Amino acid sequence: MSQVEDDPGVEAELGEVGRALYGSFPQRSRNPVKALDARAMELASQDAELRAALFRFVDVTPACRSLDDLARHLSGYLSEVGEKPPPLEVAMRMAGTKPGRAALGVAAAGGVRHMAHRFIVGESPRKALPVLRELWEDGAASSVDLLGEATVTEAEADRYAARCAEALDTIAEAAPRWPERPQLEADSLGPLPRANLSVKVSALTPHIRPDAPALGREDASRRMRPLLRKARDLGAHLHIDMESLDALETTMDLIFELLDEDEFREGPSAGLVLQAYLRESPNQLDSILAWARETPRTPPLVVRLVKGAYWDHEIVEARQHGWDAPVFEVKAECDRNYEQLTRRLLDARPAVRVAVASHNLRSISHAIAYNRHSGGENGDVELQVLRGLGDELAHALAAQGFRVRVYCPVGDLVAGMAYLVRRLLENTSNESFLHEQAMGVPLEELLAAP
Amino acid sequence: MKPFANEPTLELRRAPARELLVNALRELEPKLPLAVPVLIGRERGAHEGFESTDPGEPDRVVATAGRATQVDAGAAVEAAAAAFPAWRDMGANARAEVLVGAAQILRSRRLELAALQVRECAKPWGEADGDVCEAIDFLEYYAREAVRLEHGPGLLQVPGERNTMRYEPRGVCVVIAPWNFPLAIPTGMTSAALAAGNSVVLKPAEQSPASALALVEALREAGAPPGAISLLPGFGEVGAALVRDPRVHVIAFTGSSAVGLEIVRSSADTPEGQGHVKRVVAEMGGKNAVIVDSDADLDDAVPAIVKSAFVYAGQKCSAASRVLAHEGVADALLERLSGAVNVLIVGQADDFAIDVPPVIERDAQERVVRYVDIAASDGRIVGQQAKIPANGWFCPPTLVTDLPADSAVLRDEIFGPVLAVERVRSIAEACDALERSPFALTGGLFSRNPETVAEVTRRTPVGNLYVNRHITGAMVGRQPFGGNRRSGIGSKAGGPDYLLQFVEPRVVTENTMRHGLVVE
Repeated sequence: MSQVEDDPGVEAELGEVGRALYGSFPQRSRNPVKALDARAMELASQDAELRAALFRFVDVTPACRSLDDLARHLSGYLSEVGEKPPPLEVAMRMAGTKPGRAALGVAAAGGVRHMAHRFIVGESPRKALPVLRELWEDGAASSVDLLGEATVTEAEADRYAARCAEALDTIAEAAPRWPERPQLEADSLGPLPRANLSVKVSALTPHIRPDAPALGREDASRRMRPLLRKARDLGAHLHIDMESLDALETTMDLIFELLDEDEFREGPSAGLVLQAYLRESPNQLDSILAWARETPRTPPLVVRLVKGAYWDHEIVEARQHGWDAPVFEVKAECDRNYEQLTRRLLDARPAVRVAVASHNLRSISHAIAYNRHSGGENGDVELQVLRGLGDELAHALAAQGFRVRVYCPVGDLVAGMAYLVRRLLENTSNESFLHEQAMGVPLEELLAAP
Repeated sequence: MKPFANEPTLELRRAPARELLVNALRELEPKLPLAVPVLIGRERGAHEGFESTDPGEPDRVVATAGRATQVDAGAAVEAAAAAFPAWRDMGANARAEVLVGAAQILRSRRLELAALQVRECAKPWGEADGDVCEAIDFLEYYAREAVRLEHGPGLLQVPGERNTMRYEPRGVCVVIAPWNFPLAIPTGMTSAALAAGNSVVLKPAEQSPASALALVEALREAGAPPGAISLLPGFGEVGAALVRDPRVHVIAFTGSSAVGLEIVRSSADTPEGQGHVKRVVAEMGGKNAVIVDSDADLDDAVPAIVKSAFVYAGQKCSAASRVLAHEGVADALLERLSGAVNVLIVGQADDFAIDVPPVIERDAQERVVRYVDIAASDGRIVGQQAKIPANGWFCPPTLVTDLPADSAVLRDEIFGPVLAVERVRSIAEACDALERSPFALTGGLFSRNPETVAEVTRRTPVGNLYVNRHITGAMVGRQPFGGNRRSGIGSKAGGPDYLLQFVEPRVVTENTMRHGLVVE
């Protein structure tokens, strides 16, 4: 345990930051449809069976051939729920007749579409531009993530790479016309690109093999290099996302190898992700920092610190194989690790730039307080949130003058389903910060040390 | 004993775990070829008679083995018959200790044994490690099952009589094992027979004698009397002699349908002097299909189907060889499957970065090539990886469609990396197609409709149906494994019924009333 951790100054400042942020959250939306969403989520988080039914339904929606088919799926899932709240009993009765199913299908499809639109900003980068601009005007930068089906063929890998290239072009072409937002455009280390794209290594190759990381790395590198060149030439930022542990070695090796190539030493701005739920994340940070110090680049490597989005997957995978779980199973341990990694990352500047991606008020306030305490300007730590989950938080952060970036998934409904289900899981998990907040857990508890 | 838990496989996504295996192979290499003797009771016979070779590099000899004769078969059965009473009378607990001890020995040798399979059978690393773990599982699982069985089931009791039921071992058990799970399957059949109190004569496949030797060594080192477990490396004539021997009670076989049916016929004979009817447990072929419904998630279905069909070059009895795709999704599925087959990497089993290793031997390669030719002339090849190493028994993984319903490619068990896709108008039509197949081993279904899952579950005759996942890789205790129809007779390996095939039930009813007085 480091000294700074126990520094009462950080803890006190953290409280102030948290309370101020909390105070600037907007009032609960009066939009009735949004409230309906929230009600469905609330029901789902209270009842595991209902939650399963809802997720299975959201998941299958794009694969249904007709409204009738859709309604049959919905009633099939609901029939497995023991105690149905009254609205679902109505749905079950509707599913008993053909006209009833048509009506139910329309309503249900509308519901899923609405939910999807909350998390997915547009079907294509071009269609997303108005939202990106609006965010920017409201004081939030963005990172676009192209949703897609899993890559199992060469053609799919090529297609994803082409979509990424096109997205870079589209965003970089539009971004210069956005108004000036100095708070988003530079930190103490220099200018920050307006255009920002997140890419997934597993989508750039059909050869991701956990037991043969070199295979996927080499194949994905062929497609990543042109994207890095394009980002460099357009002055855009390219962020390489992290997925499940099965792709971790491939991803890390690819990043270290490519960014070490001469042509990429001076750009583009690039980044990687550190997942705090992994027990091995402190060691990973060791290697990231060692690499960053040995491989100085301008602009510096951006490290996005996240909790990690594959918790259930990692646990199940480990249980089925009889392996030790690679992730923290107790939330408080994960939260503590998150804070330790935050401190280490902020201490490691200027070798890296730091982006703290979290919806947890405590984690965010901690990062802000620690940054100030160690002499940083507010703009020297980036705060990231997810579109649809962290909208209110983004607002509050921007209003308080912090540098915030919204992670914006782009793509069609079919492609977005896996993403959507993951986000819903996160939002309705009992341990989720957002859930706690929605349930009215007192602020002091939300800000208490983990 | 602790409750049974599956032996964890190595976490091969971690580099240090991979290094362990690579080092084990490096250490094994200079010891090759291994010598596999004929082991009959305490007698140690010749270890030169035939060779097992590396399918990926046929010039490399992995083991030299003694070639057991028909005379050896008789001697081994005699030794087994002699050892039987003592082994039987040890009791289930003591026998379980021997099995658990053998499991521990395999555990301590697991890296070396996985490396051996990579060489002897061209099993890719993950599969080889999984095979060793499965062998350990069988020993641990059947040890516990035998202890459970020894208590016998409870019976209805009324005043004045005492009813008890117990299970007795049958006697000499012959185990005839295949090469595709060179340690796990011989271990499964052998350990079940031994746990239940039988003595065993093991005839391993001629392609994989060295893995079988490791099993026999482990059992004997752990305390199994030599007569209770003999090893007869060799060819078909030894197996046939064992099956014919009137002193044999049980034949446990896993392998081809042709040989399995021959064993069934031959063991039905009850020559003069044979005081029992032989019991046959046979796991035979399959022609396994995966049904893909219109609502399937192809992101899941495509990798799972590819894995089911092509891992270990399709040489698992559980492997997928047919896909029945709903017309609503067939085009998209075909396009993605063909792309996925085109990028399969064919290469040596000791390379982690391959998808498809060579097949076991020249005959197998020729058979696969023959079926690929039939596929090309009967239908349309829509995916193939033609880049394959020149030496070794490699075959191009192949995806075919548009085959006529009577094509041999849709009917025969190819046991190689060939997958056929058929289009169906409905799930009912897919079930009808499977209904017509004489095989019923494994099957798969990709659907997100609970009603479809229930319907296919109700209609499919297969022994193991996998829903929304790959159809290979059954785990002991979790997926008791075995086929129905002409795919097998007998009950699920690695499940709660398996040991019952190696015992005979005996019931005793005692009158406890004497002159109106109940004397308990």
